Amino acid sequence: MTFLSPFYLLLAGAIAVPLLIHLMRRRMGARVEFPAARYLARAEREHSRTLRIRNLLLMLLRVLAILAVALAAARPVARWVGSGHAPTAVALVIDNSLSSSVVENGRPLLDQFKSMAQGLLAQATPADRLWLVTIDGSVRGGSAAVLRDEIDRLQPIDGAGDPVLALSRAASIIQSAGLDARQVALLTDGQRTEWQHAPQLSNTQVLVYAPSTKPPVNRAVIAAEARPVRWTPRGAIAARFLATDSTTYRITLAGQTLSRGTAAPNEEVVVHTAPAERGWVDGTVELEPDELPADNVRHFAAWIGAAPGVAVAPGAGDFAKNAVDVLRGSETVANGNDISIITADDLAGLPALITAPADPVRLGAANRALERAGIPWRFGERRSGAAAVHGAGVDDVTVTMRYDLVAQAGAAAETLAVVGRDAWIVAGPRFVLVGSPLTPDASDFPVRAAFVPWLGGVLTERLVGEPGQALDTTPGVRLPRPRWADAIETADGQRTPLGETLDAPTRAGTYFLTRGDRRVGALVVNAPPEESALDRYTADELRARLRAERTVSAPNAAAWASLAFRAAARRPLVGPALALALLLIVIEALVIGARARRAA
Amino acid sequence: MESTRALRADLFDPASLAALGRIEIIARWIVDGFMTGLHRSPRKGFSVEFAEYRPYLPGDDLRYIDWKIAARSDRWVVRQYEEETNLRASIVLDVSRSMDWSGAALRTAGASAGEAAARLTKLAYAERLAAALALLLLRQRDAVGLVRFDERIRTAVAPRARTGQWRRIVSSLEEPGAGRASSAGIALQQAARLINRRGMVVLISDLLMEMDEVESAMRGLRAVGHDVTVLHVMDPAERDLPSSGEAVFVDPESELTVPASVADVRVAYRNTVDEVIGEWRSMLGSLGIAYEVIGTDAPFGVPLRRAFAARQQLP
Repeated sequence: MTFLSPFYLLLAGAIAVPLLIHLMRRRMGARVEFPAARYLARAEREHSRTLRIRNLLLMLLRVLAILAVALAAARPVARWVGSGHAPTAVALVIDNSLSSSVVENGRPLLDQFKSMAQGLLAQATPADRLWLVTIDGSVRGGSAAVLRDEIDRLQPIDGAGDPVLALSRAASIIQSAGLDARQVALLTDGQRTEWQHAPQLSNTQVLVYAPSTKPPVNRAVIAAEARPVRWTPRGAIAARFLATDSTTYRITLAGQTLSRGTAAPNEEVVVHTAPAERGWVDGTVELEPDELPADNVRHFAAWIGAAPGVAVAPGAGDFAKNAVDVLRGSETVANGNDISIITADDLAGLPALITAPADPVRLGAANRALERAGIPWRFGERRSGAAAVHGAGVDDVTVTMRYDLVAQAGAAAETLAVVGRDAWIVAGPRFVLVGSPLTPDASDFPVRAAFVPWLGGVLTERLVGEPGQALDTTPGVRLPRPRWADAIETADGQRTPLGETLDAPTRAGTYFLTRGDRRVGALVVNAPPEESALDRYTADELRARLRAERTVSAPNAAAWASLAFRAAARRPLVGPALALALLLIVIEALVIGARARRAA
Repeated sequence: MESTRALRADLFDPASLAALGRIEIIARWIVDGFMTGLHRSPRKGFSVEFAEYRPYLPGDDLRYIDWKIAARSDRWVVRQYEEETNLRASIVLDVSRSMDWSGAALRTAGASAGEAAARLTKLAYAERLAAALALLLLRQRDAVGLVRFDERIRTAVAPRARTGQWRRIVSSLEEPGAGRASSAGIALQQAARLINRRGMVVLISDLLMEMDEVESAMRGLRAVGHDVTVLHVMDPAERDLPSSGEAVFVDPESELTVPASVADVRVAYRNTVDEVIGEWRSMLGSLGIAYEVIGTDAPFGVPLRRAFAARQQLP
């Protein structure tokens, strides 16, 4: 038993009054001359036992009545008896992740959760403190009426949310509520992929409900991407599907249907195209709606532009010239002077793929040319001997001659490949710098099969058009602000300036990043593919995963409401204490009344 | 009939009657009222019980010649009456301090303040009763004496039937008393000594004394052939405790203090008083002694009738 107002227990000191009256009553009262006092003494002598018992009973009744009143004033709560429930801090956690929008028995699961949550709020009293925590960690506090409105407006998010964050916040707010009775009430579909990790909830009681029904078979688009992200203008869209049999898909680009088809289970669908659109465009890969429609669409973004014209300087070597010819043949690049592939000592302008000069004598001229072009890197000491290269698309390359790439003050370039701890290929705005000549005597990179794709990627991804890229993320994730963008454009065209961080919207879709008036990139928000796997934990498995002080699982929706506050199980004893006090006073009055009637 | 009863002083409220005058006057009124209840005229009928006829002898009072018989049979006979009286009575009055108390200071249950305040003390009631009883007996030509006692004999008036005896008794009743204890044994022995032949003893007391002592004295009185009547005077507040709350009750004689809650002990006290009265009644009854409990709120006619009835049973 605990007390909400323990200070009032001091009222119990008032029991001294009946005790003193009982003990001192023999010394109280006026002296009265009474000749027949001997009869009185005899009467008391002969009836002393009865009188003593009755007086003791009256004293006990009065002491107990005072104790009961003091007890009621201290607002006791206990686990075992009482009516209603103690003032309780309840954090209602509703799993409104994408998977909760699955339709079961003709009704979205989230709607069932909302009904159950309303039932819990209907049992709340004004003394309770209530919060609504959604699976993305958002917290709303207020009265039951306010939370009812919030629940009515609650929609599923297009992601998995962060159940660890949500439960941690729920536990934190109820523990800071200042009430002894605390309860986290969790409504979730128990999705396995979502509850792989669970928080440590010490000192927290959790009431959890997870449906025991088997989830429906789900079909979903689990991957959709533009390959490459920058189309010149040819590109491809790759998609994968979660399905148990063949499924029909549709691919759209810039709102237009680009392709329709049927994919086999686990098959990757790749659709090549060379659309007429230019700039950053959005697209979707869609399936026919099923019981979980939210994952039947997946978004992607692509930059589409004309093939850049590439000029290969004679000093860049034959291997570079031949590779560009191959790229021209595939219409990845074209003839022109948009981008140059050139040795550093011949560098005249950007953008350019810059290689180290083959002759060490030209090293000074090369560094001066880099300085003129504003590139914050210089060639340093010449290194000989075979060394392995590590980097995207260049693994297994062996370098035999290279120059150290020395960063200058303010260098903010990206290192694409390293030899040991030394940078070998670095990139920056409108340049890619290689620490060796693209010749077989310096490295075997030019003769590697990976050289042409790598070169195509560098020319079309890094050296063409505006700086910028497509950022893939999931709903609600906080990202560092991309330096090449200053605002984000919503679906309705509204632009919101970026802060120090970029919070991904909770709705799936493609959100363009802009710089000034121009689109320079895209934020592609999609649910994590795992969210489409609807396999569930059983109630016992889920209870085991929630490492709380005490976890009670409701076996069905009907039991939820009755367990909602009973799980806290601390009920107020004010009413029973007052009833006890009243009963004791009535008994005392009856005893006195009986005595008075007999005396009369 | 109602008007007749209303005029009888022996049926008046004792306190109201006592407020009208001194003991002597009040006693006369009481006895006059009492005799009105017994006879048509209080001046006729005393000791006129017809016994037999005897022949007239010279010197006999001519008032007692039966003229009807003389006229019818020409024979002079005289009506012979019983002797007027030869009773010697002694009234033994307890004047201890416990008698000088009334429940006026305490309010009895159900009594108004006015009723309680108008009550006589037990002593005042007993004195008026003793005066009236003495007068009544003297009018029967009985010899009446008085013994007043507390822890010792205060007054002893030998029984006489002569004129002026009642005035002496009344004067004795006006003497102070109210000692700290009651020594009934000594007083009763003194009363017995005052009566040199078989007679009547009337003890008027609140009996707040040791029963053994009284029993011993009573046995002595009965042994010599005295008829004894005990009038146990009690204030109504001694029968039923007043409805006050907590109090420390003090016996003015023994200084015995009993703290008590009236509500707690009222029933037990009433039962105890009933037991005590029963014990007195049993003890005295076993000795052939008449016993009557008299409340100080009862009209004087009630105890007077008891005492007179006891007298009438005597020769």
